[in-house]
Amino acid sequence: MKAVISSIVVAIILALIFSLPVLAQESGTITITMRGANDISISLDETAWPLGNVTLNTDYYTSPAIEWCTLAVEGNCNVDTFIVGEDAEWIDNSSYKWTLSNSGGNGEHIYGLWFRISGDTTRGPLGDGYVPITKTQSEFWPYPNCSGTSLAPEDYKQFGLKLLTPTYFWGGRQMQTHITISAVMA
Amino acid sequence: MVGRIKLAGLIAALLFIFLPSFTMAQDSSFGVSPAEVHIDNLPLGEAEEFELTIHNKNEIAHNFTIATFRPPEEERRKGRAEFPDNSWISFPFQEIEVAAKSEAGVTVTVAIPREQKWAGGDWEIWLGVTAESSDLLSVRLYVRLLVSTEPAVGIRPNAGLVAGIVVGIVLLGCGGYYYFRRKARPE
Repeated sequence: MKAVISSIVVAIILALIFSLPVLAQESGTITITMRGANDISISLDETAWPLGNVTLNTDYYTSPAIEWCTLAVEGNCNVDTFIVGEDAEWIDNSSYKWTLSNSGGNGEHIYGLWFRISGDTTRGPLGDGYVPITKTQSEFWPYPNCSGTSLAPEDYKQFGLKLLTPTYFWGGRQMQTHITISAVMA
Repeated sequence: MVGRIKLAGLIAALLFIFLPSFTMAQDSSFGVSPAEVHIDNLPLGEAEEFELTIHNKNEIAHNFTIATFRPPEEERRKGRAEFPDNSWISFPFQEIEVAAKSEAGVTVTVAIPREQKWAGGDWEIWLGVTAESSDLLSVRLYVRLLVSTEPAVGIRPNAGLVAGIVVGIVLLGCGGYYYFRRKARPE
């Protein structure tokens, strides 16, 4: 009888030894860590481009062409930056649009937007430094296979824009579009 | 031609105007902190909160919008998967006005469903804060949110208990065997 009692006690002890450490994990603590105690911040010194009247199937460049706007890193962390565009809308009725091309090209009611960063001479599909802006967010700086790195605090990049008007559009309408430049901690 | 005017050559018929604004040079003067947030060991079925701060560095009040964004794999931290469902992240409002030269806090809540299939997750999603602007260019700042859920602990205690019970049964069997063998032994 003594052996049976001993066996039961040993079995209970063993069961507890196996299960207690695992059960104890149920009360694990949640940890929240904030990185980048200060802020992430970038600035643009130019945000408007009043073009005036435009004609069909024509390229328009900002002036100066590639040093029109300066993007500066003002926060305290290194950043990667991106760019995304959207369709241009008639300000009186947004149902009339120019669709933003996904290749930088143009067509009927389809327009192209491009950017070029100062110092980039070979980037882009044409190898002239100009890169299409599309409705899908893509790298502004750095970009894949480039020799550059993320932008550090106080770094800056100058760039310009190019607009290619549609091959056909309805006249007499004031159009407006937006380009968003974004940044994330590298 | 009905309703459509075919344009040819240099016709100054269409205005493609990006309206200038007096505030255009200040539109992007804002910051967000922190730049990256880690939430580790978040239990299934529970929610956790943290606060983002938007710093409006402009001389005038500005509206800011807040939204989630799923970054592509190449932009995520190493080993992080796509956040399964944007609706698990909520804000008290999608838009907030921040007074000039001041800051405002936004409480972000991350709630994970109770289903076991979300255990042991390591995900990343970005929270984008955009300064509303009518200008051509605008700025959006992303906060990296990295969320890890607790491991599948619901299964492991059972495994431990099963192992313990098995050992117990073996020991009981041995004990019983020796007990009855001793009892059956002639005096």
